[in-house]
Amino acid sequence: MKKKLVSVLLASAMIVSTLAGCGNSDSGTTADNSTTTDSSTETTEEDPNEKVGAQIEVDQSATDSVSVEGEYSDADLTVFIYAQDHEKAVYQSLIDKFMESTGAKVTFEVTTADEYGQKILAYKAAGDMPDIFYVGPDTIAANVDDGYLLPLDDYVPEATINDLWPAITEAYRYDGKQAGAGPIYGLPKDLSTFAFAYNKTLFDEAGLEYPDPENPYTWEEFLEVCGKLTIDKDGDGEIDQWGCANALQWALDAFIYTNGGHFLNEDYTQVVIDGQKEFIDAFQYFADLTCKYGVTPTVEQDTALGGYQRWLDGQIGFYACGTWDVGAFMDKNTFPYEWGLCAWPTGSTGKSMTRNGSVGFVVSADTQYPDAAAALITLFSTDLEGQRVLSGETTGASLQIPNIMSYAKGDFKDRIADGTIPYGENVDVIFNYIEGTDKYEGIFVELTYTYNGDWWQEFLSGGYEYVLTGEKTAAEYCAEVQPAMQAALDNANDMKAAASGQ
Amino acid sequence: MDSSKGKKQKTKLSAMAKREEKWGLLFVAAPALGFLIFMLWPIIFAILTSLTTWNGAKGFAGMMDRFCGFDNYIKLFADRKFWQTLVTTIIYLIGIPIGMILGLICAMGMNRKIPGVRVLRTMYYVPVISSLVSVSILWAWVYNYDYGLFNTIIKTLTGLHGPNWLGDEALIKVSMIIFMVWKGLGSSIILYLAGLQNIPRSYYEAAMVDGASGWQKFKSITVPLLSPVTFYILVTTLIGGFQVFVEVQVMTPSGNGGIGYSAATIVFYLYQKAFESYQLGYASAIAVILAIIIFIITAINFVGQNKWVKTMD
Repeated sequence: MKKKLVSVLLASAMIVSTLAGCGNSDSGTTADNSTTTDSSTETTEEDPNEKVGAQIEVDQSATDSVSVEGEYSDADLTVFIYAQDHEKAVYQSLIDKFMESTGAKVTFEVTTADEYGQKILAYKAAGDMPDIFYVGPDTIAANVDDGYLLPLDDYVPEATINDLWPAITEAYRYDGKQAGAGPIYGLPKDLSTFAFAYNKTLFDEAGLEYPDPENPYTWEEFLEVCGKLTIDKDGDGEIDQWGCANALQWALDAFIYTNGGHFLNEDYTQVVIDGQKEFIDAFQYFADLTCKYGVTPTVEQDTALGGYQRWLDGQIGFYACGTWDVGAFMDKNTFPYEWGLCAWPTGSTGKSMTRNGSVGFVVSADTQYPDAAAALITLFSTDLEGQRVLSGETTGASLQIPNIMSYAKGDFKDRIADGTIPYGENVDVIFNYIEGTDKYEGIFVELTYTYNGDWWQEFLSGGYEYVLTGEKTAAEYCAEVQPAMQAALDNANDMKAAASGQ
Repeated sequence: MDSSKGKKQKTKLSAMAKREEKWGLLFVAAPALGFLIFMLWPIIFAILTSLTTWNGAKGFAGMMDRFCGFDNYIKLFADRKFWQTLVTTIIYLIGIPIGMILGLICAMGMNRKIPGVRVLRTMYYVPVISSLVSVSILWAWVYNYDYGLFNTIIKTLTGLHGPNWLGDEALIKVSMIIFMVWKGLGSSIILYLAGLQNIPRSYYEAAMVDGASGWQKFKSITVPLLSPVTFYILVTTLIGGFQVFVEVQVMTPSGNGGIGYSAATIVFYLYQKAFESYQLGYASAIAVILAIIIFIITAINFVGQNKWVKTMD
């Protein structure tokens, strides 16, 4: 009897340590994430600047000319964001100027992009939000519904907002039902776009004409060019240079949307990929590039060495290029090739499409100093000197295009033209995607407007690789995975209803 | 009978002993408080959270606003991914007996007086003290399709391209099990080695006098007298086996749980729910179910131990 009791006690002690173990492994591994070498996530919006990182030294005096109007000597603000070292230096110097000229006290806390989500969750759970933090367009609605964000219209001058790219200011508006309209809740830290790039050196070797940014390739033309770039260079019987390399998780969008396809219906309540011709054709074409035409590395080869490394190694003709990649691609130590920007190939709509991205500074609804906080994020987002540093004019490595439209279209482009800012050829491609033309359109993908990304995770974890290997057709996969995606979307919409119903 | 004796003694405590007792209580209070604050409260909190649809917003009050009864548990039982990851987790447990048998064999080998045995013992223990993340990255490269150690060996020996260790639904599970066995081997070796050295020489000498063969000695002396160690290893590795997470996060391409979620474990799924889609309530429900499963299995182990765990007295 006694022995049994001891057993039960011991067992409970072990269970307890089990639970403690759970906690440990969770908190431990976010830090671990940053140490993994992950070829496919390097281009997500969350950590756009990871690759260039600390190579860039920021001249502290670059922001000396900043002037801030206002007197906030009683204000005591906390800023919590994620940033790379060079960005941190920029924002720190802006904070120093702000404190000096307004008398406000500012506590600046910085974390990594990987840890940010969990830490902000901890702030929320504790009910003690920083005055200023980051929110992306995808979670603006959820944060407003939960009552976390201060509308900024009364605090930020209209002229300031009007000189930002309309594409981003829309992304930070929310009217309580739909994103895109209503009060503005955030000012952009950046606006990024996910353009396409080609390796000029490989084009020269193959004797091919460069892509014409004025006339994006059709899918047929793209396939033909890729075919000519896919070769066995060293003659050992194995292909070692490919036309392109696309990781599905970030490249599929560019094919789906240009073909008029979409994942969800208009009010984001139904997954509509099963039987949708535009979607399935685009997905099948995307997969055929790998399994039928062989102009990309195979699925196996991709798991061995990701497309990003292969592109840097000069094995790939076309590769995606985010605005944050430019600094790295212009660094000859990283990428010793000539390259230029071009359009993603066009499907049935004839319009080249890609995704835009952004993260923005927001002010907590609970802040005691809304005026001071709004003034500080205005400085972060639109200070000209800060923008010169981040967009590469001062440092020579461009990590983002400037938030200020007038500067971007004026000085910034001139500095690229005169070589002060190293940039791939055809920078207009970037502007085309951001502003939209008759042949280009950059969009915030559907994922931006749903309560969470679980439905998309279902698409990614259903075994899409079998479509890329040719073991399944796109149509079969869509039919198979749609119910799970729908269930996840329903669940997300339930959560949204519960949150906004409060 | 022991307890009644204790009671009698207690009544006769001197003033000084009483003072000491107070101090004693104070010392006991530290771990007891630690248990209450850092163990019991989180458990209660997790159970409470599992009854809500909380996403972390608005603190404790926000959580109680989102009370939903047993909805999360009902959803969980219909959740395909929950079952899929639970089955995968259980499949990974196959590595436990394999690791124990290998550990025992190695321990017996290292229990002899052979030159360099200390170096060998240290080598086998290195994986245990290494960071799980670093060795996971290392093994991801060992398994690499084009450049990995295994496929390079296969190519050199046979001229054929080896399999895609981490890119196939079945093979990725095998790969994970091999890795986990390798990682855990050192600690079972150390424990078995300690157990082996605890068995008195005289038992073997007596057996020798009786003319027992090597196998008979192993079967009738070594195995039974190691059973407490075996029991300890079994219980702890089973508990650890249900909590596999880092390996999946690091070794699957882009940390996505493997092709078709084939390598994902239940804790990996829990993590994604909690920290990627912020469904803290749902994730807590998974945690509670997991804790119950572990509790039941551990309880079965303890109840069953009478049948096979022998002690030396």
